[in-house]
Amino acid sequence: MKPSVEQKLWMYEHMFVSRYYEETIEKIYLEGKSPVFNMAKGPIPGEMHLSNGQEPCAVGVCAHLHDYDVITATHRPHHQAIAKGVDLKKMTAEIFGKKTGLSGGRGGHMHIFDPDVSFSCSGIVGQGLGPAVGAALSRKLQNKPGVAISYIGEGAANQGAFHEALNLASVWKLPVIFIVEDNAWGISVSKETATSVPQNAMRAQGYGMPGVFVPGNDPVAIFEAAGEAIERARNGEGPTLLDLETYRLAGHFMGDAEGYRPEGEKEGLNKKDPILLFEKELLANKELTHEQNEQIKIAARARVDEAVEFARNSDYAPAEDAMDCVFV
Amino acid sequence: MSVEVSIPADLWEGDSDAVITTWFVNDGTSVKAKQLLVEVMTEKIQHEIHSPGNGKITILKQVDEVVGKGDCIARVS
Amino acid sequence: MAIKERKLTIARAMAEATAQEMRNDETVFVMGEDVGPLGGVFGNTRGLVDEFGPDRVRDTPISETAFMGAAVGAASDGMRPIVELMFVDFFGVCFDAIYNNMAKNAYFSGGNVKVPVVLMTSTGGGYSDGGQHSQCVYGTFAHLPGMKVVVPSNAYDAKGMMIAAIRDDNPVIFMYHKALQGMGWLGTEPGATVHVPEEEYVVEFGKAKTVREGSDVTIVSLGVGVHHSLKAAKQLEEKGISAEVVDLRTLVPLDRDHIFESVKKTGRLVVVDEDYQSFGVTGEIITSVVERDVSILKAPPKRIAYPDIPIPFSPVMEQWALPNPTKIVEACLKFNI
Repeated sequence: MKPSVEQKLWMYEHMFVSRYYEETIEKIYLEGKSPVFNMAKGPIPGEMHLSNGQEPCAVGVCAHLHDYDVITATHRPHHQAIAKGVDLKKMTAEIFGKKTGLSGGRGGHMHIFDPDVSFSCSGIVGQGLGPAVGAALSRKLQNKPGVAISYIGEGAANQGAFHEALNLASVWKLPVIFIVEDNAWGISVSKETATSVPQNAMRAQGYGMPGVFVPGNDPVAIFEAAGEAIERARNGEGPTLLDLETYRLAGHFMGDAEGYRPEGEKEGLNKKDPILLFEKELLANKELTHEQNEQIKIAARARVDEAVEFARNSDYAPAEDAMDCVFV
Repeated sequence: MSVEVSIPADLWEGDSDAVITTWFVNDGTSVKAKQLLVEVMTEKIQHEIHSPGNGKITILKQVDEVVGKGDCIARVS
Repeated sequence: MAIKERKLTIARAMAEATAQEMRNDETVFVMGEDVGPLGGVFGNTRGLVDEFGPDRVRDTPISETAFMGAAVGAASDGMRPIVELMFVDFFGVCFDAIYNNMAKNAYFSGGNVKVPVVLMTSTGGGYSDGGQHSQCVYGTFAHLPGMKVVVPSNAYDAKGMMIAAIRDDNPVIFMYHKALQGMGWLGTEPGATVHVPEEEYVVEFGKAKTVREGSDVTIVSLGVGVHHSLKAAKQLEEKGISAEVVDLRTLVPLDRDHIFESVKKTGRLVVVDEDYQSFGVTGEIITSVVERDVSILKAPPKRIAYPDIPIPFSPVMEQWALPNPTKIVEACLKFNI
């Protein structure tokens, strides 16, 4: 299942939006945090986990998804949210903690909920696995269309919830795809020292489902693997474990000094920037003209800038609104 | 005889400023050579500065103050 | 012999206590996420892996159920594990190993099996980390039988309580507040960084401490709340009100006598807690006094705690919800002393 040119351009465009978004958020995040890096200060306080470098994992999958397909994501959700079609203005306002945010400011960047495109995320490692199984169960019981995607990091594959969710999805033959974004690091702990097998894809056999390792952080390769897995699920053939090799070009969280990375690792990764590589490929194949490329970039920046402007200009909800929404 | 406690030029890379995050001694106490005196943070990393000698310390820059390489932040005499 | 005066942050005090005990006792070891070369996300294991090696200071995978359970097993087999739960909010993924196993095996075995685990965990918010990274849940842990629960408000207590915790044959939940740790990238309450003796010493559990004497009102708190209370007491002094501030230090065992004696002296009680209000610490402190002798009270007790809502991200909402010195002062003024 190869992507059409149109699908390739869709992916490229969303990767660019995603990256420009993260770079923009990073700059804003650092406002008010210099020279003293105090996490509580600035227009975007708290933690921030950026997805620079992991864009292929989002676009290669979301290219196959409808609004009614479900994604549960992690503390590093922006690229997936963008690829899924989450309202960018409201998402940005939520990251700023404003009243116009998706949750009125109650959630912040780790708690982005957009029911219109069936997207949610959370801050606890492995917490989204069970709910993805549940969403898939719901569709099966109601005979409604849709698959569920649970995104996790390679560290989360060592959580108990992983074992239980994969087993359950397999036993009940549910339309759910478990997608591991293997960026090789769980904060300062490398995959090699934490995971008992070289690739999580190997664990799929233990759960009676196919496991596919996709090396190279390449959107097209991911598109193909995801397409197969999603089709299996839609056809009632049950779950798949996709194990995607990727890299995070930034730290685990903003403020991470990254002393644990071996010397030269980051420079090496920057050379393999998936957006630059994809751009090169598309131009070389003449699937993208230089003019189109410029248009894509201009449009992407405008979209992100508009969302940021919206967020900046929005008000905070009044403090007492904190008491609302505990119960519906 | 008074010795300066300054931010060493090689404490971190680059020219960015740092901020004093913790003093491990009070102003006026006796300190020993190599004793941990203060922590400064630049960007995201905390760096330790130890006493250059024995004596009584006079603190010149306080917690949360911004400092640069070469700045004198205390004296030990 | 000159006693060297030096201050430590709570993070360094915890690391120093751990190192000293690890030198004394080979059965003490540390495990948790990022406790090795990183020195702990909150700095409390700094230097340990360099001194003791990766066998005794172990980075774990993100497998809390497994390594909490492993801590129980190792402790039951004669070792003294110190295990870190990076954020207390993560207790949900491994609570069975803690409340149902670690806390109960000594009892179920009639005292024949000891489970000397120290579970150290970060608590608290106020820096916009959202509802799953900012909780205190003191009440949740204190409510369940079989585990001691300690909450240091300063580095002196932190070192003494860490040593006491490691030497205790019972499971001890050591809850450190992020705003008191001394991490440069997260604002630190300066009052927590205090003089800490170099030698080993123990701060006994079950002993609250009056950190400021007063006669008009007793303010009881723990962790960062102690610092809020001290600031409030200063402001109240300017208004002619003499506030006594009591630092609980340990929740389990709770020093009910000390609290009672203080309220007997002042006749008024305010309890300050960053954990959720209902069914928790503030209710327990108030009841401890009232059920013993309600006649000592000149007015109904007051409590300042986090409202019963998930912690919101928006800084406007979060700061509004948190206890702070202003709220304490306002509560005390309502006594019309």
